[in-house]
Amino acid sequence: MVHISDGVLDPLLWEAGWAVTAIILVYALSKMKIEDVPRLSVITAAVFVVSLVHIQMGPTSVHFILNGFAGVMLGILAYPCIFVALVLQCFLFGFGGVTTIGINTVNMGIPALVAYLIFKSGTGPDISSETRKKASLSGAIAGGIAVVLALLFLAAELLTTGEVFLETTVLVVITHIPIIAVEAIFTGVIVGFIATVAPEMFRQ
Amino acid sequence: MKTIRSLGVLALILILCTALICPSASAHRVIVQGRVSEIQIKAYFGGGDATPMADADVEIYAIRDGQEELYLTGKADEDGMYYFPPLIGVSEYRAVVEESGHKGEEMVNLTGGAGLAEAEQEEEGLPLTETIAGLGYLAGLAGIAMILAARKMRKQYEKE
Repeated sequence: MVHISDGVLDPLLWEAGWAVTAIILVYALSKMKIEDVPRLSVITAAVFVVSLVHIQMGPTSVHFILNGFAGVMLGILAYPCIFVALVLQCFLFGFGGVTTIGINTVNMGIPALVAYLIFKSGTGPDISSETRKKASLSGAIAGGIAVVLALLFLAAELLTTGEVFLETTVLVVITHIPIIAVEAIFTGVIVGFIATVAPEMFRQ
Repeated sequence: MKTIRSLGVLALILILCTALICPSASAHRVIVQGRVSEIQIKAYFGGGDATPMADADVEIYAIRDGQEELYLTGKADEDGMYYFPPLIGVSEYRAVVEESGHKGEEMVNLTGGAGLAEAEQEEEGLPLTETIAGLGYLAGLAGIAMILAARKMRKQYEKE
């Protein structure tokens, strides 16, 4: 539901989305190191494929996003991760639209970066097996909040198309409650597991 | 004489009864009229589960001599279906369906039937080929990223 299609938004809005996405992409890719590439690729593959897992919620269909998980695991590189996943989803699955890839990346990518900040502020600089419970809790909060933020971004943009903000927000949040819950639990569990077995993955 | 008259009346009644019992169309021209009374639009979400786009906003544009004009607006039912009557002399329509940021459109051509044939092929199951293709693209992108990152590293080493 978070993929906005072509022809829905005002051109000014999706053009602004492309501008923001281009700036963040350039900055993020300039920070990329060779050792980041395998992790970035694996998590991008997960974000790309997970959108196929749909849950029918009343009159609509919702799917997993994993933007919070990508943010926690990749930091700033979550932005190119989500961008590439959205490009592939658009051209291969027909999700969203070509013109709206930029704004869709903003909708899911900015919350991913916020999720990273929440996770880092919750765990502190040192993540190890001793602090795995704290890491797991911070990961779960970050994973859930990232989805909620993505939905708020979507609702705010749909406001410009004439949708009623409160109604749209309530509708998208209610239909995504299972997604928010599952992504929070998933991120918490995976982060806890990685903090136990390979905490060096969080030292970026 | 009376008996002969009675037999005659009986024969007349029998003939009339036979005429009444015979199929009513036996002596009539058969007329069969064909008429397209409505066009059906079906909107659903792709990606495997084919969930109907219930209550989606529908706009129907009639295309007459290459000129497009808004013909009807309405809402899809709970099964994502919308029905509309065709206009006399117009065989081409564009249906636009929109719901919460999702938008799709379909051309319906009554003469060619191409749009209808496509509409009947409902997507089912997960798009496995596209998924595998996507993972292949990702592997390729990872390779390119590693080449670029390695080149950057080599330049740094050369500077040092």
